[in-house]
Amino acid sequence: MCDGEGTAWARAHVDDCHFCQEERDLLYQRVAALRTLPAHRPPRDRWTVIRAQAVRDRRGRTLRRIGYGALALAAGIALLIGVRAVDLPGGQPSAADAQLTQLMTRSQELEATLLSYGTDGRVLTGRAAGIIADLEDRIALVDAGINQVSAGGGPPDQLIGLWQDRVDLMDALVSAHVTRAAYVGF
Amino acid sequence: MTRAPVPVIAVLDDIAVEQAKTGDLEALERVYRSYEGLVYTMARRICRTEEDAEDVLQETFLEVCRSIRGFRGSGPGSLTAWLKRIAASKALMRVRREKYRDADELPEDGAAIGVPAADVGLQLDLETALMRLPETSRAVVWLHDVEGYTHEDIAEMMGKTVSFSKSQLARAHMRLRGWLGGGHDDA
Repeated sequence: MCDGEGTAWARAHVDDCHFCQEERDLLYQRVAALRTLPAHRPPRDRWTVIRAQAVRDRRGRTLRRIGYGALALAAGIALLIGVRAVDLPGGQPSAADAQLTQLMTRSQELEATLLSYGTDGRVLTGRAAGIIADLEDRIALVDAGINQVSAGGGPPDQLIGLWQDRVDLMDALVSAHVTRAAYVGF
Repeated sequence: MTRAPVPVIAVLDDIAVEQAKTGDLEALERVYRSYEGLVYTMARRICRTEEDAEDVLQETFLEVCRSIRGFRGSGPGSLTAWLKRIAASKALMRVRREKYRDADELPEDGAAIGVPAADVGLQLDLETALMRLPETSRAVVWLHDVEGYTHEDIAEMMGKTVSFSKSQLARAHMRLRGWLGGGHDDA
């Protein structure tokens, strides 16, 4: 009835019944009293733990994105190189394609290093986390550029430049993790 | 445990909310500072222990950090509703998980309706009486009477029927009525 769902008979009954009116008023008082109960404050500050976990989650998501992006890129580039090789006399890849393959292989090696290193669950300083997050964001941007150039059939030089950027950034990312580990090791 | 007289929600402007939606950790901390009391109070009222309530607080804000990019509301008002919904879900999830620890839920067959014989003549203050309720009943009372959720909302969050929510509320109030007697002067 308090939710406005009572039948007409019930409402009429409460209007006439002193006992039911008293019970209804007690219920209203109880609900009002519940709403005035004092607030609680958490006994400990949990933000530090939440922040550290949020940073770890974010890094994990970015690394997965980089990994998936790299797989797609590798497949696309392999296809591109294969098609070009077929077009060339004797089926041999050009110097540019060979350089591209080399960079792509290096990038994959660095990713494997990062994965085997096991970045999850390690403690990061705020500064290290910032550097790593920045590098991951830049890698994601370079990946987007590679995808765009590959899809549009852009010039090989541009593609090589982007892959070189990716390798440099991946290298810096691995170094950032290893440097931090060495520091923790002391 | 320190207590404040009312849940304190520090002023959080639209800009801070928008910044938090970009994943800015400083803005997210402002959200946390503004809402930790509100979330913890709800969790503490629903969960059995302080530790459980602290875990709910942590799980709620981790979810906020993960999902705030997808938050479609604008301004602190809708943020409050969104946050409370997450906190309620996390707290209820914990209640379900911990349910094996006691014979929870007031039975639906009416066999044990009212105050148990051992409680006859016992006068409790409202806070003690509330904590004495089984967790599920207490959650329904708090979510319905204090947080203002409808029985439909509660049923959806609990994965139960609307009539389950209604009967839990009615029976919980019968128990409270028996334990508290006629007044709530100490509330």
